[in-house]
Amino acid sequence: MAHRKWSRYPRAPFYLFVSPWVLGFLALTAVPLAYAFVISLTNFDGSSPRWRWVGFRNYVELFGDGSAWAALIRTIAYTALAVPLSVAGSLGLATLLNRRLKAVGLWRTIFFLPSVVPVVATAILWKLVLNRDAGILNTLLGAVGIDRISWLGDPAAFYSLILLTLWGLGGGMVIMLAALQGVPPELEEAAIVDGAGRWRVFRHVTLPMISPVVFFQIATGVIASLQIIVQPLLLAETNNISTIAAVPESTHVYMVQVYEEYFLRNRFGYGSAMLWVFFLVILVFTLLVQRSTRSWVYYEVDGDADR
Amino acid sequence: MALAVLFAGPLLWLLLAALKTREEWASGSTGILPERAQWSNFIHALTDINFAAYTLNSLFLATTYAVLITLSSAAVGFGFARLQAPGKRALFFVLLSTMMLPQILTLLPTYVLFSRIGLINTYWPWVLWGLAASPYLVFLFRQFFAAIPRELEDAAIVDGCGWGRIFFRIFLPLSRPVVVTAFLLSFTWTWGDYIAPALLLDVDHTTLSVAITAWYRDPRGNAIPTVQAAAAALYVIPMMVVFLFAQRYFIRSALSSGIKG
Repeated sequence: MAHRKWSRYPRAPFYLFVSPWVLGFLALTAVPLAYAFVISLTNFDGSSPRWRWVGFRNYVELFGDGSAWAALIRTIAYTALAVPLSVAGSLGLATLLNRRLKAVGLWRTIFFLPSVVPVVATAILWKLVLNRDAGILNTLLGAVGIDRISWLGDPAAFYSLILLTLWGLGGGMVIMLAALQGVPPELEEAAIVDGAGRWRVFRHVTLPMISPVVFFQIATGVIASLQIIVQPLLLAETNNISTIAAVPESTHVYMVQVYEEYFLRNRFGYGSAMLWVFFLVILVFTLLVQRSTRSWVYYEVDGDADR
Repeated sequence: MALAVLFAGPLLWLLLAALKTREEWASGSTGILPERAQWSNFIHALTDINFAAYTLNSLFLATTYAVLITLSSAAVGFGFARLQAPGKRALFFVLLSTMMLPQILTLLPTYVLFSRIGLINTYWPWVLWGLAASPYLVFLFRQFFAAIPRELEDAAIVDGCGWGRIFFRIFLPLSRPVVVTAFLLSFTWTWGDYIAPALLLDVDHTTLSVAITAWYRDPRGNAIPTVQAAAAALYVIPMMVVFLFAQRYFIRSALSSGIKG
């Protein structure tokens, strides 16, 4: 049996077909990561040929670097707020749209559209909305007697960043909506017949059924939030890549800090050490998340059997 | 639904800002609507910088990348779906793991590497990234190809077709909806990308997304928000139009990123 299978499938075609990805992964992911590790052991400044090995000194320095720790904590705070809010928000919107509504397609489009707006345009339009003197938000707040707030400066910039993130939750909403539509209505009806209230049906029937999707949203959301960099750079008052120093402290997240070490202070070695530490943090996080799934995610059928 | 206002409002505000005079904009409180629509903002957006050249750069880069990555991802997806060889499971596991890997981590060292081998200010990085396939699109194609009945390839094998011809003649044409999804998706990645062109390309080679963020300034160096708003609108509107016509493909791509199996 096995023998016949191998005559049907000679080995060469498989390797040939997957070679673009294998070679690309090695050249464009593995090599840069390894290269970053090598640089992290030096005091390379990006151009000067007179660099030398410094061993793990960059890592030791990073351990005692107060601003790097502060940036890391800020990043975690951002993630801890933005991910639950956007997952809950997309689930809430999806639940709203999952009823028989008029023009449901139109609503879905309105909520989904912002998530396909490119990040550059998103940043430009939110800067217009949040502008201290001319923005619509302060104008509206002024109408109810609230003083002007500098949304793009400290400390409000942190919340503006979260606002901007939440605006794009339509992508998650579409996914949740599809998951909700996959829940067999008989299950919910049976629970209602048994006398369960709306909330209990949602909590004990619907949510467990869609938990794999919710879990996936949380996992990818956390990883995306930890590496956020473009939004803080673009929301800074002087939006020019060379003036990263203008990023307000409250949105000075970890990757912005790395960026600064690279391009403001030309400390490529130190920046690379920061990257590697972050890489390990994310790796550990991913493993932890994957281990925890078994305890609370309900899979109807085991994933497709991989041949 | 007041919620819809929260989502659509910022986009409308952008369009309104693009139609105001600079004074109207700066005074803010005089009114939400512009006194008279200032279409000249759009003229300035198109002429104050070399808008056409940056648009062409963006189009060229996005198209090249999208064509290459769609083809390479389809090929790799086909390999994982229909072919067998030792090491396949391990490779597939690595592929799925890299879907989780933050791209930004590799971008900075890639920038250093590319600048040392002279690939800065060229479009070669996008060609290389395109050839390398995307784990996510590979997954998309693999799911589609795996569902196609075996009889189809059996017939081709009996007729003496090689795997290359089976892929190009049978499977690739069958997967047209996935091809369209992958193309649209990868095109918008590049069209919307900011950090890679900002790092790798200079003023002459860079894309529209970078150009509109920084270069609308008056002689004193202050940003001109109304003209920038007009430029941002010009940058987004084509994407919106594509989106409205191809909505089901965008939704399909969002779905396949969230639902495994």
